[in-house]
Formats: sequence, structure tokens, C-alpha cells
Amino acid sequence: MQWINLFRANLRKEYLEMKRYLPNTIALVLTFYFIFLGLFGVIHFFGDPSTQDANIQFVIVNYIFWFLALSVIQMFGFEIVNEAIRGTLEQLSMSPMGIWRILSTRLIASTIIYGIIIFVLLIITMLTAGQWLNIDILSIFPIFVLTVFGMYGVGLMVGGLAIVYKQIQAFLQILQFLLAGLTFIPLAASPFMYFLPFVIGVDLVRDIMIGGQTLIDIGWLPLTILFINAFVYFIAGLLFFNYCERMAMKKGLLGQY
Amino acid sequence: MEKIIEINNLTKSYRKRKSKEVIQAVKNVAFNVYKGEILGLLGPNGAGKTTTIKLICGLLYPDSGEIKIKGIPNTVRRLESLQHISAVLEGNRNLYWRLTVRENLEYFAGNRGRSRKEVKKEIDELLQMFRLKDKENELVNRLSRGMQQKLAIAVAMLANTEVLLLDEPTLGLDVQTGLEVREILKSIVKNYHRTIIISSHDMDVIQDICNRTVIINQGTVVIDQRVDELIKLFEVRSYRLTLTEPLSLDQQKAISARFPANEYVEDQAHSYLTVQLEKSEDIYQIFQVLQLNRTPIDSIDRKAIRFDEVFLKIIQGDHQYAMD
Repeated sequence: MQWINLFRANLRKEYLEMKRYLPNTIALVLTFYFIFLGLFGVIHFFGDPSTQDANIQFVIVNYIFWFLALSVIQMFGFEIVNEAIRGTLEQLSMSPMGIWRILSTRLIASTIIYGIIIFVLLIITMLTAGQWLNIDILSIFPIFVLTVFGMYGVGLMVGGLAIVYKQIQAFLQILQFLLAGLTFIPLAASPFMYFLPFVIGVDLVRDIMIGGQTLIDIGWLPLTILFINAFVYFIAGLLFFNYCERMAMKKGLLGQY
Repeated sequence: MEKIIEINNLTKSYRKRKSKEVIQAVKNVAFNVYKGEILGLLGPNGAGKTTTIKLICGLLYPDSGEIKIKGIPNTVRRLESLQHISAVLEGNRNLYWRLTVRENLEYFAGNRGRSRKEVKKEIDELLQMFRLKDKENELVNRLSRGMQQKLAIAVAMLANTEVLLLDEPTLGLDVQTGLEVREILKSIVKNYHRTIIISSHDMDVIQDICNRTVIINQGTVVIDQRVDELIKLFEVRSYRLTLTEPLSLDQQKAISARFPANEYVEDQAHSYLTVQLEKSEDIYQIFQVLQLNRTPIDSIDRKAIRFDEVFLKIIQGDHQYAMD
């Protein structure tokens, strides 16, 4: 029950702040849409006409996942930096629920809110491009959840760095490109890609949304690999975050910015 | 009296980032906090006060030593120990400025696993108590500093913990709001049976509301005593003699030799000698010096001492005899 109350409180806070910072939220959505228009224009006007439809579909899925990965992974770090600047990080650390639980529920809350925004944007981008993807919710949902779970793991690692070093903005800038690589490069490029976070998840979603496959077509092996991948990254992220939190407490860095 | 917090041999050092020099912030600090008291934690800047506070809150790990909150060691069972303590560490910066007064209270209660429904009545009571009822739907960034400070304390109250730790609760407040906060804190102890630890530079606040004070200087505890007893200890040893004739140079030298911490001033009608005595009977040594020239004494008064003067004397190393 405590978990539910914690989640509710953070979902409400995320919603209220998004509402209060409305111009910021609108700017974020518009930026996302205009970048997509740019990509679409490049493919439309300069791409090979014979592969144009496939390329546009590929870009839509990748771009959506890139946006999601950016929101989920960077957010953990940004939240910690922002809380340290505001002066509320130590206050959160004093909750008997533990800071990782608070930030995780906040992250789940914002994933839900961003998930709704992303879904709306997906419809708008498909309308703009005139390309309709296969939105098989039943097949996409479990893969989406596991993929996001793996992203949380990476997010926790970024959060761990933020809790110790605080000024990680430069790293987050570089991270944008790394995440673009992870979402845009197909799994078939190298077997090594299976070991990277959430690549397999994005690839499976592409199979469903572009290739029209279902969970049954995908089979249990890729799903098991996705589950193990997500689980390992999440646990690693959690352990790393707790290690960093402890280090910050030993060195007295928790509230410093 | 029941011990709520036990602090034993607490030591914490930091390494400076550039020079790698090790700074011992806290050295073998030990004191207890008892149920239902208001304890004042004092010390000059850089004395180790904030480090001690953060160690109590579980925001720092000690190098050695132990803190038990209601018998729970806060390094081993940190989250469990945090169920008994809440704090206001940075005053109005502890709040979300884009949320309203009520939303802040609800959010922080939620962060401790409590539902909005469960805390609704408590929030209403706190809003009344802190006189924030008419501001409950106001964004925090539109409140005055005093109101923000009161809200931060209300947030800590809502955590329903036995111990409240307040760092500089009256800093930057106007006189009226400062007095209001003092009254609120007294009422929290009296009506809600909470234990409060206050760190402050405002000696008036400490003298007015604290039962006991722990003074930390250069990382160690130099005083752990009741505030009224501490004042009495210094008060009885401070005397002011009003003389109808000035002291000769020889007399002044003799006084200075025996009582270095003396103050001598003259005006047209009188001369005044203020001395700190280690023992009450030392007053006879003054009489001996006055006897030399048969200097007439108009009056002898015990000098009223303010708490900030006591604090200064302790910090300047005068605590040894206060502890006798």
C-alpha cells in the first residue's frame, strides 16, 4: 500500500508540474514534432523512392524510441541534479521509503505521462507521413514494458553518476548520441548488440510495427533474451545507484551542487 | 528520561578535493537526546554542527562511532531509523515552489507512503496551527519567506516522527514571524509530545525555547548542559563594583594580574570594575586591592549575563571552569 501511495504522490506531482510548466511541455512536444518533420523531409525529398516507405516507417519507430529512451534515461540524472539545485534532494533522501524508490516511482509516473504524449505524437507523425504502422497493443505492450525496464536500469546508472558528480550535463549531451545509436542501429548489425541495453526490445517492436509480426511469430527465445537483458540491466543499475548513494553519503556529496 | 537519540564517539573527516588535505569535521562527539526536550545545537561556523546534524539524519556515514535513533543504529538500519526522524535542513529550499501549500504537504506525506485521504485531517489541523489555512491553494513561490519556513516545518511535522530536527528555523525571518515560529515549536513539544533538535545562531531563540544545549567547537562537544544552569554558572561569577573614587595605577595592575578578564571604566562621578571570578570567595582578593587605598565601594552587583556572552566565553575556551 505504501508503494501505491508513493506512486500516486509522484504521478500527481509529475502531472501538476507538467501543467504548471505548460510552455515548457509544449515546447518539448513541438521540438520533437519539428525534428521528426525534418527527418521526414530529408527522406522524402532526398531518399531512394523505392525504399522510401520502409525508411519512413523505420524512422518513425526509431525516433519514438529515441525520444522515450532520452526521457527515461536522462530523466533520472536530471531529476537528481534539479533536486540538488532546488535543495530538496536531502529531504527526499530522508524518506524511509528510500530515494531510489521515490525516483523510480517518479520515473514510472513520467513514463506513463510521456507514454500518452508519445502515443499522440505517434498518431500525428503517422498522419503527417501518411504511413500507418501496425499498432498491435497486445504484442507491443509486454515488449514495451520489458524494454522500458532495461532503460530504467541505465537510468539508475546515470542517476548514480549524478548523485556523486552532479554536474553531468556534458555527459548527458553525449548520451543523446549514444542512445540514438542504440535505437537506430538494427540488432542484425552485430551479435554483440544483444548484450547492449534495450536494443533487442526496440528491434522486436520494429518487427511488430513495421513487419506486422505478433508475439507468437516472434517466439519465446527473443523474448527470454529481452527479459534477461532487461533484468540484468535493471539489477546492475540498482546496485550501481545504491553504491553511488552510499559513496555520496560517505563523502558528504548528497546535498552539494 | 527516555533516550530518543544516542550518539557515541562519532568521528567524521573529509578530504579536500584539490589539496587532498584531511579535515576532521567531527571528533568523538557524544551526547544523548531525551524524549520531549528541545535541544539546542550550537557552534560557530565550521564547528562541525551541520556535519553532526547530517550524521543524525543519516545523510552522512560516520568514519567511526554510532548513532541510535530509538535504539536503531542509523547506519545499519538507515531507512528504519528514518521512520522516527524528520528534518528541515534548508528552510524554504526544502519545498517545491511550483506546487501549492497543500500539494507540498500531500506530496511529502506521499513520499513517506501515506495517502492523501489518510492525511487530509492532519493537514487541515496543521494549516490551522501554522496559520496557513487561507494560503493552502497558493503556490509556494508566492508566499513570504516566513510562510515558506512555517510550511517547511509543517511538512516535517506531517511525517509524524518523534524527533524533529530544525536547522536555523528562524533565519531570515522578521521579528513577528520569528516569535510566531518559537511559539509554534513550544506548542509542538507541549501538545504533540515531540522532541526537537534546533541548530541556530540565534541565541535568543536558544535561550527562549531550549531546555538543554550542546555546544560544538572545532569538531568536539565542549558543553552539554541545561541552558538555565549554564547561564547561572556564568552569572554568579560575574560582578560589577561601582566605586566612588578611581583606582590607582598600582591597584589596576594588581587587579589585572589576578583577574585578567576584568573591565575597568571611569566617568566623572564613579569608576566601574567588572570582574569574572573563578570562585565566589575570590571577591575577597578584590577587597584586599581596594583596601590598599581605602577605595570606597558604592555598590556591588551581580552582572546579568546574556546567553550570547556565555556562548562566546565557552567558544573562547572559558568552558573548562563552567564544567567544574
